Amino acid sequence: MKTPMKHSGTLAIVLVAMLPLTGCDWIRSKLHPPPKLQFAEAGERYLQKPDFARIEHEFPLAPADLMKLTPENIANYSQEQVDQIYARLTAGPIPDAAFDGALFFPKNSKRDRRISEIVGGLPGLAVELKSQKLETLGAQLWRGKVFDRDTRILRNRIEDLAALKPIIDDDLSTIEKINVGGKDQWLLFPAKLYCGQSLIDSRRESIIIDYAFTDELPGYRERPDYLAGRNGFQIRDEIRMVRPGFYLGRAYAGKAFLLNFTLYNHEIAGSQSDAFVDTGKVAEDCWIGTQERKLMASAS
Amino acid sequence: MERGVVIGGVLISASFLFAVLLNNCAGDKGPLPEADAQPAPPPTQATAPAQSPVLDNPGFYLGEATLNPSERAGREIWYKSTAGNSRFHTYTFQQRVGVLIDWYRVLRSDERSDRFAAWGIINDPGCCVPGSQDCPAKSPDDTYGFDWCPGDEQLLQFVGREGYRDPACDFKDAPADTNDVHNRTKDQRQSSCDLAFGTSTGALGIRKFPNPRFNRERWLALNGTAANWSGYNGKLSNDKANSDSHVSRLADGSVEPPFLIGISCGSCHIAFDPLNPPADPAHPQWANLKGAVGNQYTRISEILSSGMTPSDIEFQVFSHARPGTSDTSAVPTDQINNPGTINAIINIHQRPTFQDEVVDKWRKVEACPAGEGQAKQGGTEACWCEHEGKCWQRGTRTETVHHILKGGEDSIGALEAIQRVYFNIGSCAEQCWVNHLTDLRQIDPQQRNFGQTPFDIGQCRRDCPNFRAIEDRLQDIMNFLTSSETHATDLQVARENELKKSNPRGTYTRQSFIADLEREFGAGSVARGREVFAGNCARCHSSIAEKDGGPFANRDFAAIDAKTGLRADWLGNDQATPVSGVGTFRCRALHTNHMKDHVWQEYGSETLRSRPADTAVKEASDGGRGYYRNISLLSLWAHAPFLHNNALGPELCGKPANAANDFYRSPFADAQGKALAGDAVPACWKFDPSVKGRFDLYKASMNDLLNPDQRVPKITRFSDDVPIAFGPRLWDGKEERQVVGFSVTIPAGATAGALGNFQHKRFADDLVLSALRPDELHAQLNKSLGEKDGGTVFKALNEVRTEIMRDPSTMIDEIRKRPFLLGAYSSCTATVENEGHRFGEGLSAQDKKALTAFLATM
Repeated sequence: MKTPMKHSGTLAIVLVAMLPLTGCDWIRSKLHPPPKLQFAEAGERYLQKPDFARIEHEFPLAPADLMKLTPENIANYSQEQVDQIYARLTAGPIPDAAFDGALFFPKNSKRDRRISEIVGGLPGLAVELKSQKLETLGAQLWRGKVFDRDTRILRNRIEDLAALKPIIDDDLSTIEKINVGGKDQWLLFPAKLYCGQSLIDSRRESIIIDYAFTDELPGYRERPDYLAGRNGFQIRDEIRMVRPGFYLGRAYAGKAFLLNFTLYNHEIAGSQSDAFVDTGKVAEDCWIGTQERKLMASAS
Repeated sequence: MERGVVIGGVLISASFLFAVLLNNCAGDKGPLPEADAQPAPPPTQATAPAQSPVLDNPGFYLGEATLNPSERAGREIWYKSTAGNSRFHTYTFQQRVGVLIDWYRVLRSDERSDRFAAWGIINDPGCCVPGSQDCPAKSPDDTYGFDWCPGDEQLLQFVGREGYRDPACDFKDAPADTNDVHNRTKDQRQSSCDLAFGTSTGALGIRKFPNPRFNRERWLALNGTAANWSGYNGKLSNDKANSDSHVSRLADGSVEPPFLIGISCGSCHIAFDPLNPPADPAHPQWANLKGAVGNQYTRISEILSSGMTPSDIEFQVFSHARPGTSDTSAVPTDQINNPGTINAIINIHQRPTFQDEVVDKWRKVEACPAGEGQAKQGGTEACWCEHEGKCWQRGTRTETVHHILKGGEDSIGALEAIQRVYFNIGSCAEQCWVNHLTDLRQIDPQQRNFGQTPFDIGQCRRDCPNFRAIEDRLQDIMNFLTSSETHATDLQVARENELKKSNPRGTYTRQSFIADLEREFGAGSVARGREVFAGNCARCHSSIAEKDGGPFANRDFAAIDAKTGLRADWLGNDQATPVSGVGTFRCRALHTNHMKDHVWQEYGSETLRSRPADTAVKEASDGGRGYYRNISLLSLWAHAPFLHNNALGPELCGKPANAANDFYRSPFADAQGKALAGDAVPACWKFDPSVKGRFDLYKASMNDLLNPDQRVPKITRFSDDVPIAFGPRLWDGKEERQVVGFSVTIPAGATAGALGNFQHKRFADDLVLSALRPDELHAQLNKSLGEKDGGTVFKALNEVRTEIMRDPSTMIDEIRKRPFLLGAYSSCTATVENEGHRFGEGLSAQDKKALTAFLATM
């Protein structure tokens, strides 16, 4: 049996591989400064983090606030701020389109802290930090997701198949693909879509992208798709809608938080944003909880 | 040294701990019902019910005959209200906490007769097995394999559909109390719909609700028939070498079951009436049940992990609570393994209260003072109005309160203690408290859920309608819990009831009762027992101190309080005793959830938290913990085994017909702590709620209590090997290969508590520090453990780190080689669960008999 991923040599190599990402963070923060939104004061320790219910009650986000956010500028908040934004979102509708994706590491986050989180849920892999290599690969290869609302199945868009070739079985030509902007993208890593529990904010559901039973889905190819599944990295994503066409996501492995990502569809964003600003209303497929969302209500 | 390198290489040892975190989804597959070749026809088109749904059958209402309207309302809420926790027990517990419940395994109708023996839960007399005589449901497919219960004719129409009208909407509320400031001018109670009754599942206190997301076509594709759950709860592989043999689709959140399952307070508190036990405990009648005795047989821990397999770490750590006990700090985990009995609620009017306790809480007001219209969460003073005339103000006052929980926690008021029970059963979990829990996977102290944060009562009131529905009726529940339903149950009455079954005119007088006891325990034993009790026990086990009631030696402990008609003496003073003083298994006393900054902080009084630590125990016991309140001895004959964990006395077991549901594991050990084997293992006692069964159990438990040297030590252990793989695996058709990472196995026989109490976050952090800042760590360890032990632990940490960096798979062995590490990083190091409370061991054999005889009369 072939080893699907080459063992990484040392942690140092992985960390070096990550340097471009952190450099990108700095550049991005200058090009896309995060808009001023209200956040609750938070300290460093877990006990100093404000309760999400309180944040939502005291600092509700209005549709106009959410319209200021973009996939580029949201990546420049601190992780605590990203968390506070996420907690003030609802799941919105389960998408039914192709979305462009970007993953990001939090501004001002320290590598050791993030690694600490990874270790929390990926023991064993954390030793060799395979997960980081995967993330690095992800940043280079992953281009987004394609949602099929009717079947509740999602696939990930992979642009550079050559890099994944060593870990893909069989004939590459049999992999389903789509063309985006004149470039072929392959659809791999299928996942189930459903409304489920957020692993950071229990007060309302998120849209869950679950790879645990990926092997049951049509088009599943054991290699490489198993890597995301229950016997692999146990990936589970969750997303909430920032505004129509724009979702903020959190990726977990083994239920330990790994990274944030955004999903964006220009067409939906362009066609549905005006109505959203006017009314604050969107379709909700998932349980939105029972806490009053004041500014959203007032927009309508 | 680069911290990341150290973490990457060293913290793997933390994976030992992450065992607890691993989410090896699984479900145990029991025997399946015979598949019905003809799937049930689709339910008839749902329509908004014009008529009121059936609340329950007449049998349920027989129990309220002697109750006033408020008590009656409280009873129905206690028995049926889930306060919206069905979402928690169907989705949130599984997906967020990571423990799977196989509700079908617990509630399948074809095993109704075995349900009590397996799970200790009590069958609802109003329900029936589909297809049985007179049962409205003719096929298990009609009910998705569950019992048919009153109200299901409406409920079943809404499986897979929106629009169900909960029977609670038609609940007959008690008249609003106009003395209540909130109801002075009009009834302002939250809608009763938010009590969320659903219908019975067939087991008392476990309620079902139609799942509007259920997709019948998908269910049939997965399972074949409506009643067959094997596609959902069956394992993906039958090959034990394949990790998929642990996995079922219970872990697949995309599969929506037909029902959401919730539980009421009654799920744990409803029990067989000691005065009128059922002829067959698997098939009780309504007259055999009482609402607040506390189910002494429930295996609620096993129920809540019924979707896991015995080789899952979660099952081994959590599913060993004795029948009748529950670790209520397992979900809001404090990482202290400490199951405790379900409190018997008896003669509360006589229960001691404590004056002048400093209590910071919310109190009802009609309006907020000017300038305090909004809650200032996190502040000490706040006021909030749900609407005009219905406000609460928070502040600190001295009050007279009860001490409710094992260590005296839940001490801000009796109503609030009832209120918190609803969080124990999962209510308002999503809106109010799951975000405040510790995530065992989170080892970064800068991230949310690294540890607990305090639940906020004001926020919960504002954001959770189910909270308000219960809060607005707390007095009704309190009135039920102080009603005649909760009066003490005397053995004399129980025996007379037994007599009347064969001789309806028979009587069993006090004289006959005493005579029978004296025939068994010796002439004059009851009178002598009273003297022994007065001289040795009453200082703790009397609620009337000598300064108030005169010398114990002259006391009639059975005297009646003319005001209440109850026995004046509650037979317990509820005073907190340092755990080292009573010497019983101390893990429960070290419970942390009511400490400052912990999840139930707001339910503990400041007085509770100001209690000094017990300096005689080696673990931390600050913040008001380190105590047990003593208990009431009322109706003791009916409440064996003894101690807060039911560990003193024979071990109980159900011996179910379905061996897959036999959860008994022998805890018996020799004096060195090694598990006993073969004939040396005392047999477990089969569940027997009969009058004789209870009395036999009482006598055996009293014997153990008064003869501590004869007790066989009990230490709960892993019953199965627990393999844990860290990293991706591939199944090649013959065997599973670890692609990267490694595997470890925690062997059968490992002490369950040692793992459950292990503070993996602190251990992981110290391993890192041992490489990064060794001097700092060494100083810390010296300070906390003393120089000798600190040095030993420091050296061991360095050795362990070195070894597991070389070969991570040796992690368990390396730690086991150094058992003192488990002690140094454990929240509780106690192992023997039936030790302590040696009071009375020096009595003569005859006095021990006498005491046993006397207490049987109480």
